[in-house]
Amino acid sequence: MDYKYIEQLLTRYFEAETSIEEEQILRAFFRQDNLPENLCHFAPLFATLDEEATCTLPDSFDDRVLQRISETAQQVVRAERPTLLNVIRPWLQAAAAVVIVVLTGFGAQRAFDRSDNAAWDYNPASFQNSYDNPQQAYKVLENGLELFRRTAQADSVMAPLESKTLQK
Amino acid sequence: MPNIDFRSDLLPLKNKLFRLALRITMDAVEAEDVTEDTLIRVWEKRSELENIRSLEAYCLTVCRNLALDRHNLRANQNDSLDDTDHEAIDVAPSPLDQLVNSDNLARVREIFARLPERQRTMLQLRDIEGLRHSQIAEIMQTSEETVKVTICRARQRMRKDFETIENYGL
Repeated sequence: MDYKYIEQLLTRYFEAETSIEEEQILRAFFRQDNLPENLCHFAPLFATLDEEATCTLPDSFDDRVLQRISETAQQVVRAERPTLLNVIRPWLQAAAAVVIVVLTGFGAQRAFDRSDNAAWDYNPASFQNSYDNPQQAYKVLENGLELFRRTAQADSVMAPLESKTLQK
Repeated sequence: MPNIDFRSDLLPLKNKLFRLALRITMDAVEAEDVTEDTLIRVWEKRSELENIRSLEAYCLTVCRNLALDRHNLRANQNDSLDDTDHEAIDVAPSPLDQLVNSDNLARVREIFARLPERQRTMLQLRDIEGLRHSQIAEIMQTSEETVKVTICRARQRMRKDFETIENYGL
């Protein structure tokens, strides 16, 4: 019998040039009992590979790993359960942003818009009493005049000083 | 790969992952742990794996990395793993043909175990799991050409070492 094809496959196998299908042919060939003299010493190489492919995990493995999976699954569910605060947080943030914009708008309007302020009324005829007690009114007036006096005095003291520094 | 199911998508890969882990760690208990960790880790990351091309290749990559981590950890703590495996070669040769044959298998296994990790892993993926060069390149994160060259070296070294043992009856 001619084993040229097998020999050629073997050579290419050791060059890593064979395809998976060709390697299966080789493996099947070396599984048979009556191998030719010149090829039989390769048999243990391929037999070992066959044998190693049957190596499997013990049956208890499945139960153990499934047990671990169910434990981690429970943990994940617990961790991912959202709180009420987390759910409404975006809406709270949006509402807060709107409130800030509206308040700023109102504030700006009130600050710049003086159209609704009534003009100052200087007519003495329309003056009204601010105080019921004449004593109190007198004291307030006195305090006001005293304040005016002090301010005026401070200005007159400062004025010569300023003119001096300017001259220098 | 949307909607990964643990029982139908991940669990069937367990023996492949176990064999790869075993090939790297050379320790059945450790390989079992690595397989378990690989499956759990991939399962926990399943939501991020929707665009993955091959779940099998991804699992094998994770498995190899975990196995290498463990191997390095153990190599730092204890003697080299390679040293512990040398005991297997001391099995006394038997006069019976059948026993000689199984002895030969033990020798081949021994030679296999002594290959460098990359050669060992690639040969495992190719000759035992029957993966294509492109798939192995993806798992090992290298080029197809490198995979071919590495597998070629691994096979030639297996052959050379086995023939040496056979010829000189070591």
